[in-house]
Amino acid sequence: MPREIITLQVGQCGNQIGMEFWKQLCLEHGISKEGILEDFATQGGDRKDVFFYQADDQQYIPRALLIDLEPRVINGIQNSEYRNLYNHENIFVSEHGGGAGNNWASGYDQGKGVEEAIMDMIDREADGSDSLEGFVLCHSIAGGTGSGMGSYLLETLNDRYSKKLVQTYSVFPNQMETSDVVVQPYNSLLTLKRLTLNADCVVVLDNTALNRIAVERLHLTNPTFAQTNSLVSTVMSASTTTLRYPGYMNNDLVGLLASLIPTPRCHFLMTGYTPLTVECQANVIRKTTVLDVMRRLLQTKNIMVSSYARTKEASQAKYISILNIIQGEMEPTQVHESLQRIRERKLVNFIEWGPASIQVALSRKSPYVQTAHRVSGLMLASHTSIRHLFSKCLSQYSLLRKKQAFLDNYRKFPMFADNDLSEFDESREILESLVDEYKACESPDYIKWGMEDPDQVLTGEGNASGTVDLKLAA
Amino acid sequence: MENNTSTISCPSTPRWNSERPFLTGRFHQETKSTSRFADTDGYSVGSLSLGFEKAIGCYNAAVQELVVIDDILSAMVGIQGRYVSIKRAHGNEDKYTFQVDASMDLALQELAKRVFPLCENFMLINQFVESRSQFKNGLVNHAFAAALRALLLDYQAMVAQLEHQFRLGRLSLQGLWFYCQPMMGSMQALSNVIQRASANNFAGSAVLNLLQSQAKAMAGDSGVRSLLEKMTECACNAYLGILERWVYEGVIDDPYGEFFIAENKSLQKESLTQDYDAKYWRQRYSLKDGIPSFLANISGTILTTGKYLNVMRECGHHVQVPLSENSKLMTFGSNHRYLECIKSAYDFASSELLNLIKEKYDLMGKLRSIKHYLLLDQGDFLVHFMDIARDELTKKLDEISVEKLQSLLDLALRTTAAAADPCHEDLTCCVETSSLLKKLGTLKDREKSRPVPDDNDLEEPVSITGLETFSLNYKIRWPLSIVISKNSLTKYQLIFRFLFHCKHVDRQLCGAWQAHQGVRALNMRGTAISRSSLLCRSMLKFINSLLHYLTFEVIEPNCHVMHKRLQTAKSIDEVIQHHDFFLDKCLRGCLLLLPEFLKKVERLKLLCLQYAAATQWLISSSIDVPSLVDFDGSLVPENPKPSKLRTPSQALKLSSSNKTVADSILKFEREFNAELQSLGPILNSSSKAEPYLTHLSQCILGTGNEQ
Repeated sequence: MPREIITLQVGQCGNQIGMEFWKQLCLEHGISKEGILEDFATQGGDRKDVFFYQADDQQYIPRALLIDLEPRVINGIQNSEYRNLYNHENIFVSEHGGGAGNNWASGYDQGKGVEEAIMDMIDREADGSDSLEGFVLCHSIAGGTGSGMGSYLLETLNDRYSKKLVQTYSVFPNQMETSDVVVQPYNSLLTLKRLTLNADCVVVLDNTALNRIAVERLHLTNPTFAQTNSLVSTVMSASTTTLRYPGYMNNDLVGLLASLIPTPRCHFLMTGYTPLTVECQANVIRKTTVLDVMRRLLQTKNIMVSSYARTKEASQAKYISILNIIQGEMEPTQVHESLQRIRERKLVNFIEWGPASIQVALSRKSPYVQTAHRVSGLMLASHTSIRHLFSKCLSQYSLLRKKQAFLDNYRKFPMFADNDLSEFDESREILESLVDEYKACESPDYIKWGMEDPDQVLTGEGNASGTVDLKLAA
Repeated sequence: MENNTSTISCPSTPRWNSERPFLTGRFHQETKSTSRFADTDGYSVGSLSLGFEKAIGCYNAAVQELVVIDDILSAMVGIQGRYVSIKRAHGNEDKYTFQVDASMDLALQELAKRVFPLCENFMLINQFVESRSQFKNGLVNHAFAAALRALLLDYQAMVAQLEHQFRLGRLSLQGLWFYCQPMMGSMQALSNVIQRASANNFAGSAVLNLLQSQAKAMAGDSGVRSLLEKMTECACNAYLGILERWVYEGVIDDPYGEFFIAENKSLQKESLTQDYDAKYWRQRYSLKDGIPSFLANISGTILTTGKYLNVMRECGHHVQVPLSENSKLMTFGSNHRYLECIKSAYDFASSELLNLIKEKYDLMGKLRSIKHYLLLDQGDFLVHFMDIARDELTKKLDEISVEKLQSLLDLALRTTAAAADPCHEDLTCCVETSSLLKKLGTLKDREKSRPVPDDNDLEEPVSITGLETFSLNYKIRWPLSIVISKNSLTKYQLIFRFLFHCKHVDRQLCGAWQAHQGVRALNMRGTAISRSSLLCRSMLKFINSLLHYLTFEVIEPNCHVMHKRLQTAKSIDEVIQHHDFFLDKCLRGCLLLLPEFLKKVERLKLLCLQYAAATQWLISSSIDVPSLVDFDGSLVPENPKPSKLRTPSQALKLSSSNKTVADSILKFEREFNAELQSLGPILNSSSKAEPYLTHLSQCILGTGNEQ
């Protein structure tokens, strides 16, 4: 059972989307709610063992760890019809069950406290696999547990499993409406540092965009969490299809990610999915062709990350890499024709400093899930406009920080004890340099970025000065 | 003449059959060759007849006429009379001369001589019938002779009737001549035919051709023509019998070697899995010379019909052609019904065989399975295999243990998606002895049967390892080996080896990519490492594009087209043709037939491998190991350090302390870009001849923004 992937779902949001993800996987592989292979699931050719392992009684068990500091969501799972799916040894709920109170520092600190118990679980899962490929972390970056404890886990994993890949599905908060979590910018910033430094790949799931898609594309007036979560699970399952339904290429996570991620830090991916449907919704069935799907994937309205860029900046934004995972029945020649058409119409704005083109992975569709559409597609893309999301985080953080608001909650914990707020500064610094790097990617001279003058490292910290330097260098 | 019991090539007949002339009707010429004309002193044999000694001229004309009629009636059945002598021409067995007593009344003589050609023709035909009835002359001759004999019986009956009239005293010589007239033409035509047949010693189809052409030549004389056509029909019957067994049962029932299809029993069906040229399929049954003209156009169909039936028999599959009264190949008449019969037999055989191969032997499943493994359509097993067999594959050729690889391969197959495919057990691995380029050279040699003077082929890479030579083998069993012959399998293997090596390069680069990921925590802006990570990206992009081109632009569409065509294929030959076409198209598309191009690609891959191998060293030597530990320590939040590695001094140190590293990375970058750019013109120039190359150039060189 090679190239296994262990999923860690941390916090309320992480467990919710994780739950949806496993539901979707079970559906696609024909596994019942109890983990038993359904009678009709005889087609074979799929790889269940990447995400599941089989117990002695042939029951399929997800390689998943359910971790939370408060019992509410996990209890919900344990009372749902999927309660028998998971390995109960893999469920961790903090003993006091008080949660992290939306405080990153609390989550981080508690994470450290229970490190041993959790690492035991991870080690056990890792030992149970033949050649572990990596970890997938599901969490949100705004709350307390997912962000704080998730951050701690990322660091620990990086330390202990330095050769393994870590991919995260990170839910970014909805920044359009005022959140009940006032310290959200702090939490986001601190988590983003870990996502930048300790993850190999971050799939950004922006709640703002998910909501927008639910409202605009699916015509839901008041999208529920369940509905946006189903969007997330669609994306998660689609992005793993090449691992689960082996094809010519991208049959392992490293191959999938290596082609997408240009430099070690620019590993934030945007996603797009089409055609989207939500359960119990009569959707108009469109004719789907490969070209159609690919074209829709390039439309901003289908992208699950909202761009906060102004028009001028948006026109500068460029794709660094694109992988389209196309599922369904299609003529293989359509792929080439579609790519040709997209190239001719210049629908994609690619970076100029290196070779770039749309990569396509064709994948089988699960035979057990009936969909109304013949072809569906997922886009994983590295796009420079993602920096605006980080800039937004930074500006929100600056506002809050300037007011010195809510910092007391953080000072209670060792990391920020004695009014040592250098962690914030450092995180900001790292995030700013990340923004810079993405910005530099938009320039044709990115390849020489910082090459001529090592002193740039000195001055290149700030956002504005980095731009100036770039122009000088050019 | 009839011989049902013996099927060996030429059974012997009792000697008396040929030695006793009384049985063959030749005794007259041989025993009584010393007639009274030769033996002038009146040596008498049959002295019963009183007037025998006397010259005929002694009698008056009326008596003479009676005597002559009597003699002519004898001569008509080949018996020498008193005053009509029959002599065999010297040196020519088939020529007879008739002589009448010179003292005969001139008018009678003249009339008598007119009848002699008929007598001669009778004798010739009779002799032909006798001689052709021997076993060695073959079924067609037998049938022809039998038909002739039946005709001769009619003739003899007519002679007997004439004699009866004569006895009643109602036959005059003029009358005799009158009655003979209708037969003259046809007997003449027949004798012409048999003379030509016996002169050339025709047998089998040659006889049929002769008869047919004669019948056509005689188109003006409807009586003769219909007679000859009847003869042809009779003679054909035997032949059609052979044909019928062949097209309905696939059996060559041809004891005398008359049929136009030959079987080469030395070619065994097992040879298909080894023989590069698929001789068994192409040469086991072949067309010989001497195809009957009426079958010439359809001979190919006939050959394949029986061939298909034979394949099914070899599979142990009982075939029963649905026989109806219409399907009997009785005639070959001008209505061409026999053509329809053959056509329907062919349709039946080919559809039956196709069904058998498609349904029972699951050709499509096998092709799909081969595609999974040899064309990496389900590449996950390979990922795992390369993981576990890495050490073994990097060994030198002579150190590799094939058994070990095999067990690792089995392990990889069992634990991946391939496990669900029952065919995966047919997969074995093998290690070739030469590099792909060299192997392609030999392939070309074989295809064009001319040596390609390619000096570069001789230079093998110095250290050729299992990675360059690993290949998969697939056990193909009869009868699928007809379609997937050794030749096809070799082509599959060539494509596999190319893909395999590309995958290897891809994996190595992924490793290099991961090594870069490891130093993510350092700020590498402006350092050699960041440059290196971009180079790594370019290389990954190149190899990914190449793989994308190979799989999605070449293999998948062509495969799709082939499968579509196979759905509608009507015969196994069509299937073979489509399959071969697919493979050739893939080989061509995969650049395997363009050595100069392939060398460039190999060179690029080599650069990628070298770079990937150097990455670990490049990265570790450009980072101060202690400072890395230091940095890692700083991550622990209990002792946060305000000054980290990203302080200017240390960053400076990072980038300046390893100029050599930066240099070598730049060198890699230069070489790689130069190679890649040099690919452009080649691609553009050759894409005019090979349009699919534009796809490749778009894949590899296209940056998306360029036009």
